[in-house]
Amino acid sequence: MDLKNPSCDTTRAPVSQQGGVCTLPDLEAPKVTVNIDGIDVEVVSGTTILEAANQIGVKIPTLCQHPDLAIAGVCRMCVVEVEGMRTLQASCAYPITGPMTIKTQSRRVRQARRHILDLLLRKHYGECYACVRNGVCELQSLAEEYGVDFFRFGHPTEPLYEVDTSSYSVHRDMNKCVLCRRCVRTCVDLQEVGVYEAVGRSNQTRIETFLEKPLADVVCINCGQCINRCPTGALRANDPSDEIWAAIDDPTKHVVMQTAPSPRAGIGECFGLEPGHALTFEMNTALRRCGFDKVFDTNFSADLTIIEEGTELIIRLKKALVDGDADVKLPQFTSCSPGWVKFIEHFYPEYLEHLSTAKSPQQMFGALIKTYYAQLTGIDPKDIVTVALMPCSAKKFECNRPEMVDSGFKDIDYGLTTRELGAMIKEAGIWLPDMPKSDFDDPFGTATGSGVIFGATGGVMEAALRTVIELVAGQKVENFYDHADIIPVRGFDGVKYAEITVPEVGPVPDLLKDLVPSWDFLKGATLKVGVAHGTANAKRVMEDIKAGGIFSQCHFIEFMACPGGCIGGGGQPIPTSPAIRAARAKAIYSEDAAYEVRKSHENPAVLKIYNEFLQDGPCSHLSHNLLHTHYTPRGKFIS
Amino acid sequence: MKPDVRARILDLAATYPTPKAALLTALETVQQAEGGHLSTDSLSEVAALLGVPLGTVYATASYYTMLNLKPVGKYHLQLDTNIPAMLAGAEDLLAHMEQALGIGVGETTSDGLFTLSAVEDLGACGTCPVLQVNDRYYENMTPACFDELLANLKQGVVPEWKTEGNWGTECNMLLARRGKPNSTALAGYVADGGYQALEKALTLSPAEVTQMVKDSGLRGRGGAGFPAGVKWGFLPKDSTKPVYLVCNADEGEPGTFKDRQIMEFDPHLVIEGMAISGYAIGAKLGYIYIRGEFAWIADILERAIAEAREAGKLGNNMLGRGVEFDIRVTRGAGAYVCGEETALIESLEGKRGNPRLRPPYPAVSGLFGCPTIVNNVETLSSVPFIVREGAEAFRQIGTANNAGPKIFGVSGHVKNPGAYEFPLGVPLAKVLEAAGGVVGNLKAVIVGGLSTPILTAEECRDLTLDYDTCAKYGTGLGSGGIMVMNDTVQIPAIALRTIQFYAHESCGQCTPCRQGSVAIEQMLHRVVEGKGTPEDLDNVLHLCKTIKGNTLCPTGDAFSMPIEAMVGKFRGEFEALLPKAGADLAV
Repeated sequence: MDLKNPSCDTTRAPVSQQGGVCTLPDLEAPKVTVNIDGIDVEVVSGTTILEAANQIGVKIPTLCQHPDLAIAGVCRMCVVEVEGMRTLQASCAYPITGPMTIKTQSRRVRQARRHILDLLLRKHYGECYACVRNGVCELQSLAEEYGVDFFRFGHPTEPLYEVDTSSYSVHRDMNKCVLCRRCVRTCVDLQEVGVYEAVGRSNQTRIETFLEKPLADVVCINCGQCINRCPTGALRANDPSDEIWAAIDDPTKHVVMQTAPSPRAGIGECFGLEPGHALTFEMNTALRRCGFDKVFDTNFSADLTIIEEGTELIIRLKKALVDGDADVKLPQFTSCSPGWVKFIEHFYPEYLEHLSTAKSPQQMFGALIKTYYAQLTGIDPKDIVTVALMPCSAKKFECNRPEMVDSGFKDIDYGLTTRELGAMIKEAGIWLPDMPKSDFDDPFGTATGSGVIFGATGGVMEAALRTVIELVAGQKVENFYDHADIIPVRGFDGVKYAEITVPEVGPVPDLLKDLVPSWDFLKGATLKVGVAHGTANAKRVMEDIKAGGIFSQCHFIEFMACPGGCIGGGGQPIPTSPAIRAARAKAIYSEDAAYEVRKSHENPAVLKIYNEFLQDGPCSHLSHNLLHTHYTPRGKFIS
Repeated sequence: MKPDVRARILDLAATYPTPKAALLTALETVQQAEGGHLSTDSLSEVAALLGVPLGTVYATASYYTMLNLKPVGKYHLQLDTNIPAMLAGAEDLLAHMEQALGIGVGETTSDGLFTLSAVEDLGACGTCPVLQVNDRYYENMTPACFDELLANLKQGVVPEWKTEGNWGTECNMLLARRGKPNSTALAGYVADGGYQALEKALTLSPAEVTQMVKDSGLRGRGGAGFPAGVKWGFLPKDSTKPVYLVCNADEGEPGTFKDRQIMEFDPHLVIEGMAISGYAIGAKLGYIYIRGEFAWIADILERAIAEAREAGKLGNNMLGRGVEFDIRVTRGAGAYVCGEETALIESLEGKRGNPRLRPPYPAVSGLFGCPTIVNNVETLSSVPFIVREGAEAFRQIGTANNAGPKIFGVSGHVKNPGAYEFPLGVPLAKVLEAAGGVVGNLKAVIVGGLSTPILTAEECRDLTLDYDTCAKYGTGLGSGGIMVMNDTVQIPAIALRTIQFYAHESCGQCTPCRQGSVAIEQMLHRVVEGKGTPEDLDNVLHLCKTIKGNTLCPTGDAFSMPIEAMVGKFRGEFEALLPKAGADLAV
């Protein structure tokens, strides 16, 4: 795709610019045979020693290496001996271009690994028992696997740094940092946010923010991608589970859980399942056994978001095309990713009016639970505690935004990540994969496939298109796309662009009649849409818009802060990789395919709420009060 | 930020393929304009001006020792305390300074006039002790001199203090014009036959010039001794990208002060060498990356470049022959590792001086991702002679595989420390003799800068100074920085000071260097304090073995090899410091 003004720094070739998926090896390149530990293996020239060893099941330990990130070669855990070379070579960084003999477990290599671990532990402070990463820590595993028996070069007995708990989303304990710089490469290269950097030098090197400011005071977008790639417990999400347990234990509180689509595709990984096993209905049972009073499906409010956001788009289009309103801002940007919202607030505040004013599904749901649901059930909203299970660390910040109190209360009390729920379920003595299945609770019970696919990049766009096409054209979307699968907006390309022509228009449905008298203005129109995931790709699209490129001509663009969309969110199980995210996405699309109702505007619960509660329809006064929001321009430069 | 500073930064940014590359120089410029330190506001302004994330600006500023994130006194007194300075009595001088100023290292006097810092090698090993006051050097310092200087500074007078170091030459090539009056001027250089080699080179094809350099056998003078012509040959033949020539003038290896002898006294020799080399490799632009402490030398170079450009020796039509080549001077900001070529390139791009992974090598992908050749000052300064007199004439100097002259910087316990130019292969004894002979009884010598393994007096008795012989003796010719130690020197103290230097200068990227250097420092510190154990010495040696050849760049070798040699060869001295059996360890 030809982008104008692509701002990416290609010298470090972050994987984000390849759509979060590693490039395939060049099949044209010549083949080379190398010998690793006595085993011959034929590889494509340019393959690294590490990759070649993996192909034949020889395990070389790594620490700073990560499948999403550019090679750093700094930890030196993966060194191997190459015959004829004086020095050990970092296998992650050494491309094979000719025949060579490699030893991965010679005495020299083993001693080097042991010493490197001894040296890393020299500065790693923290008790494994009391660490969020106990059992899922790469440093701990390495120490176990590679024979650390005592602290040869010492071990800190006291913390050196204060833990930074300033952020609603991400907490940093630099006492546990081993300077692998995966967070730096994530923040600078993969996400192009640039909060973290290695500061100082020598043994005094630390990973720090600008002037060592607390994370809450810098341009952090709370995406949590750094947490997902941290090998130790140095980075973690702000965990509210103790407060949630306390609410559950309090008989006066009515604790309501809503679960987003992505956690159900990921939570099995917390219980040792292969990525890609959705445990939606097992999780419902587990949540009830944990003591949640109600379990709702965020897909309901995802469908609602489609109606509100889609209506907003139609209003903008009508203003631009029919009323000739020059001030209307197009393209409209999605607003459901709180990481993206904070990103645009920091880096492109002049474009805030392009953001849909529709709240995210999480926040819409919170506002409705504490109004509509409270009325319906007669429970005093002050006694309702709303918890949102999200794949996301930024949702924790979002629910704490001061404006998110439209119900008269904090719309969502706690954002809980997939990882944290996994731990809560374990704490309750529940083995999730063994749970019987149960459904979501009413009155929001029924969801659609459109809500589910919100979890994957392109999903919001696909859901929106299913609804918009059908409502405007007056005929089934299946007439245009087989099985209503809108393939052009699917997949892991970093940036996607698609054009959809509306050949004919139907009657305006009742729900929208007050807003648009006729669809005629859309007859024969070409709807241009874009999709970007990962903020580095979002930046490319924004720069293209600024330069008047192809995306400036779009009508609607979906932005997700995390690579892969929500399935790759900062609250999802660790580890992450392109393959893991692809497996989670597959689980989500399979779930979509299995739904009977797959379009948001056909969701009976949504239709019911417009009948009973939001009677003036989408984008009306009440819906604006409860379901829409505003944004805060923030600076890129904080002093 | 003042508008003129802003304008200067923007002008500079426009000269790079990306404005970000101006970051380091921008920070230096702002610091200088704003009274010696970088405020939060100026960091933010630089970030906004160049479009660099704030975190990156802070990270870069925090990497370089010359950039101050906290206010410093009106006069920042920085005393070199590295080994050559130590051998020249810097420790006593520092104690005197602390007393005279009434402050300790790292402190500022209450009147805000003076900040005292103990710093690493300032590249003035032959004129130690050396004190840097703001951007000015005061060499051959004594307590009495310091008192006089201090009195002046208190009056607001920053005195001129020109110290002529000792020097001598047997080859009359690199130091040929050293003694001449006004040796930095173009006219004198031309009168002495300067730029004739460039004239000649431009009548040849680039390939012919490269071949001459190959035939001359010129080996890189930065330390590795890699044949320069062969290095040039690594440039890709079919690249459409611009090619850059970089002159490495980041002379920072303790014991080394040779490149400054050329740049300070004969800048046109470097410039002509670069012009010829640039032509040979097809570069249109060359950078001289000079350590920031050498501010006045950078000024000399900039003036000489301007003069050469004015006279048509540089620019887009060199000598009227339609060949384009120009030179820019970039100043470092205090980081030893930037002498390593990939770290230097990073620094030239305005970033933290972190060495890069290789491959790709700079010849393929260097500055701004373009093919880049990095050569040392002394290497490039040898090129005019080769072109003018021919490769054979160059080979006549030195020995078979070690052609040409070399400047040896002699420091430590000799009568006349200084810079002496001899043909490669000269006996060490002869160089020491030129330096006035050893003061006291010779105990040990480090011949190639601090990163090369130490030799005992016995070992170095018959040593001749060339790359191959030094390697045969288990050391390296390195940069030719010879540090002479007599029997008053305690090797454990030298070892500790050595590792302190590397622990301070490690870029902090890779584990063995970052943590290994400081682990060794801790163990040697214990030993020197009399609290060590035999296991400490064993662990030091084990760790040296692990680190050697296992770091991202050669810095790991640069300390593991000398430490291994010091502990290995003088183990008795270390063991003598261990507490006797039964002694109370808890002291």
